[in-house]
Amino acid sequence: MEQLNFSKVVIIMFKQGLSVMYREITYMWRDRGLRNLLLIGPLLGLFLFYATYSAQAIKDIPTAIVCLDRSDTARQLVEDMKNAEYLKVIAYPPNFQDLEELIKNGRVVVGIVIPEDLGQKVALHRQATVLVAVDGSNMIYATNAASAVMTVTHTISARAGINALVSNGINFSQAQEAYQGINIREEPWFNPTLNYAYFLVLALTLNIWQQCCTLVASMNVIGETGRRSWYQIKASGISVFKLFFSKSIVQVTMFMLLVLPIYIISYIFLHIPMHCNFGLLLLFTLAFTLALHSIGTLASSLSHSAIDSIRLGMLIALPSFILSGYTWPMESMPHYLQQAVKILPQTWFFQGINYLTFKNPGPAFIGHYFLILSLTAVTCYGVAAIVTLRK
Amino acid sequence: MRQVLNITYYETIHILRNRLLLGQIFFVPFLYTLLLGTVYIAGVLNNIPLGVVDLDNSQLSREVVTAFANSPYFKLNKQINTYHGLEQAMRDGTVRAGIVIPEDYAQKVSLHQNTKVLMVYDSSNLIWGYNTRKYAREVINSFNIDHTAAYLAGLGLTQEEVHNNMDTISLNMEVWYNPTYSYATFILLGIILMILHQIGLQSVGLTVTREKEQNSWLQFLSSSVPPWKIFLGKCLPYYTGGFFNYALLLWLASDLIHVKISGSLLLLILLGVIYILVINAAGFYISVKAANSLQVTRYIMLLSVPMFIISGYTWPSRYIPPYINKLAHLLPFTWMSEGFRLATLKGLGFHYLVSHILALTAMSVAALLPAMTFDKHRKFPG
Amino acid sequence: MPPIIEVKDLLQVIRKKSVFNGVSLEVQAGECFGLFGNKSAGKTALLHILAGIDRFTAGSVRIMGYDIRKTERFKSHLGLVTQERSLFQDLKVCENLDFIAALKKADSQNIRQVVEQLELQSYLNEPVETLDEGVYQRLALACALVNAPKLLLIDELIDGLDFHSYKLIAKAIKNYLSTGGTCLWAFHRVKFSAYMDRIGWLDKGEIIVYRPGELIKEYRNIFQINEKHKLLH
Repeated sequence: MEQLNFSKVVIIMFKQGLSVMYREITYMWRDRGLRNLLLIGPLLGLFLFYATYSAQAIKDIPTAIVCLDRSDTARQLVEDMKNAEYLKVIAYPPNFQDLEELIKNGRVVVGIVIPEDLGQKVALHRQATVLVAVDGSNMIYATNAASAVMTVTHTISARAGINALVSNGINFSQAQEAYQGINIREEPWFNPTLNYAYFLVLALTLNIWQQCCTLVASMNVIGETGRRSWYQIKASGISVFKLFFSKSIVQVTMFMLLVLPIYIISYIFLHIPMHCNFGLLLLFTLAFTLALHSIGTLASSLSHSAIDSIRLGMLIALPSFILSGYTWPMESMPHYLQQAVKILPQTWFFQGINYLTFKNPGPAFIGHYFLILSLTAVTCYGVAAIVTLRK
Repeated sequence: MRQVLNITYYETIHILRNRLLLGQIFFVPFLYTLLLGTVYIAGVLNNIPLGVVDLDNSQLSREVVTAFANSPYFKLNKQINTYHGLEQAMRDGTVRAGIVIPEDYAQKVSLHQNTKVLMVYDSSNLIWGYNTRKYAREVINSFNIDHTAAYLAGLGLTQEEVHNNMDTISLNMEVWYNPTYSYATFILLGIILMILHQIGLQSVGLTVTREKEQNSWLQFLSSSVPPWKIFLGKCLPYYTGGFFNYALLLWLASDLIHVKISGSLLLLILLGVIYILVINAAGFYISVKAANSLQVTRYIMLLSVPMFIISGYTWPSRYIPPYINKLAHLLPFTWMSEGFRLATLKGLGFHYLVSHILALTAMSVAALLPAMTFDKHRKFPG
Repeated sequence: MPPIIEVKDLLQVIRKKSVFNGVSLEVQAGECFGLFGNKSAGKTALLHILAGIDRFTAGSVRIMGYDIRKTERFKSHLGLVTQERSLFQDLKVCENLDFIAALKKADSQNIRQVVEQLELQSYLNEPVETLDEGVYQRLALACALVNAPKLLLIDELIDGLDFHSYKLIAKAIKNYLSTGGTCLWAFHRVKFSAYMDRIGWLDKGEIIVYRPGELIKEYRNIFQINEKHKLLH
């Protein structure tokens, strides 16, 4: 008899939970603005970001050459520049002023000025200077352009030096040896083509996704207690714990369902590398989702209105991507800021995503991340529960 | 005019009494700039952790290692000495770059056999990637120059002769506008403009929805105040706040974070005046049209990242497909961020920015017209 | 002299649902016209159309001779008391009066007058948010009267108030009418029909006009029929 009663109670509790879940799903579905935002937002972001970075790498950096000399040496130099990897000569302005204009207007990024007496000077063994100007106003351009220029400059000055040595009576092999230097083979690891799309598209999309999740999560408690139906719920005798537990399950499940297409499309259609086990990636995402949801829940329990709660949640969610060190590395931030940003689960998530998708450093390494995300979740849910129970 | 000032007065009172709104307008932009400015305060990447695997251990190989170790760009991690160790350290982020000098390197070099030093770098983050590549090439180039100089001196050439020979053709690379490659100078101004955009829209965007929610919008609708007066009165405090922030944040960036801001002050003021006008007019119109504050907040919050990315402020617009570029050029941020960079970083004058100013002006007119003539009749009565 | 309110064949369809199907109405200057109907009959909707707040689908509405679709001029001679709280929540009583007077370009002399008339002196520095219903409604009426309107639109107002406020409000409206004002007053309790000169009964998107006595009679008839109807089933 007692056994029967107990199972009855369990069934009732289960049913209550289910009905709360059902209600939560209906709420979210009926809120058309929210529904569209969640369903379309992250995918639209994925599309936009992928389209933006569809060139994938900086090649063909627009270059202009002002060649004021008609000697062979000058012609050779122009040839060298034309053959340089990543540089694309698109203009031959007649003078420095015109080149300057092109750089000011942003039409070219690299400008080369070959002086009028280059051939003559080289023939007379006098020094000649070739100016290479790089537009430094955009760093992505500037670092790529500077690297490209550097590979050419050594070759060019070495050749000129060797010729000068030989004409000074030093034998060729010695001259060559003088300029041999060390050869280097460069291997960019984890993203061998220096593909910008691989670097950013997935992370930026996940950033939109986490912002969407914050929007929903920061409604968790205030969405109930801010409503008149809160009194109904309180009067109905359903435990607050069970209410939010059921609600949270629905929300977290939905966040996971929203992230799935992002991963799938990125991997299968956009060929963005994911070097780790897919299950591990999802599990890691789940750990982050819980941490994020717990922070949203905490924000929603502390606020007086839904708008305030969203503002509070987004106050953290908006700059968190930059703070996470996914782009500008955490190691280069001031020491105290490095410590501070580690409080945010987004920091661990974006760092972890980088490690998992590109490097797959193994379970021991990522275990640490899981631990911290879980701790965040437990703490925030705990505080939120205490705050809510007092309402 | 009295009516406009009255509306302004009471909007200001509302802002002052609503602590959250006050904070949003006057504290959050400051906080964000300070926080994100601190992220970039180092300006350049230095001390990149470097692992060295020297399998040769000759004098030459040690010289190569020393060249890297002495460079301020790299910081040697001495615990790594095997290729496997390097692989592991690259994987777990202990080092971001590595050099591997093969066995018998010095010997092969002396015998003119083909041999190369392997330079690996982490390109999973391209800020690391691009910079490390550039740094490595710089170090190698200067190492080679030293090598040549030493070799020539060994041949009995005088110091001057060595110099003359090596500078037969010297390619003098000048990096214009941002010669120190400061990342803060590159990115922070764009971020500040985005903060102003977000906070501006976010604050003005609630000015009418708030009244709608409290029903007090009826007081405006049932009185004969023309729409343009409501617009002016309500926007004036936000406009003032926006411009104040514009000045404050730029000062903060230049004085505290050492971001390079040069160029004509008049031009900066002009750009700011128009930019904040577009934001306010657009925000007000959104607020008139939106059903409630929640809707406004949700949508505006999510705009910032996509707008920033497609604008061409970081990834150059030359590499962005035309349809995305066209879309981006419908947004004021794209024009403002580019124009602002031309004015402040490149120090260009008015006539280089004509198209930017025209585009922003056209956008502000396009936003002002509907904002100042909105229909005071509700379509769906609440 | 043209009627103050002149509504012809007013049609209002919202989200494919018809709210008014051909309402016509005239209210003369100096009249106190009651708008009666149960809670969802559309009294507020009609009032909001007359106040120039909401659009309507078809028909013509003239207030003081102005076509309200074409101009807002009539609004400077309009006073509106809404059913829901529509004053500025975060402002104090005096600030509300001052602000609304500014919106309506009212004489600041009027503020003192309405404050005295509705005995709001001791509340001037209180925030509106915390006011009692009675004081709030007095303030709402004061704000509506602050521009000495020619037409006063009232939505409910005196239902469920404390006696003192009730008295003050009734007196203020009486005073307003005695100085030549016109009033359109929406209510849903029959007992208030005694205050009105004529009453329009709004039901199912149509309006029928009665004298006060007639309305009470008609109302009782229908009420009794309904009772019988209920008993039969």
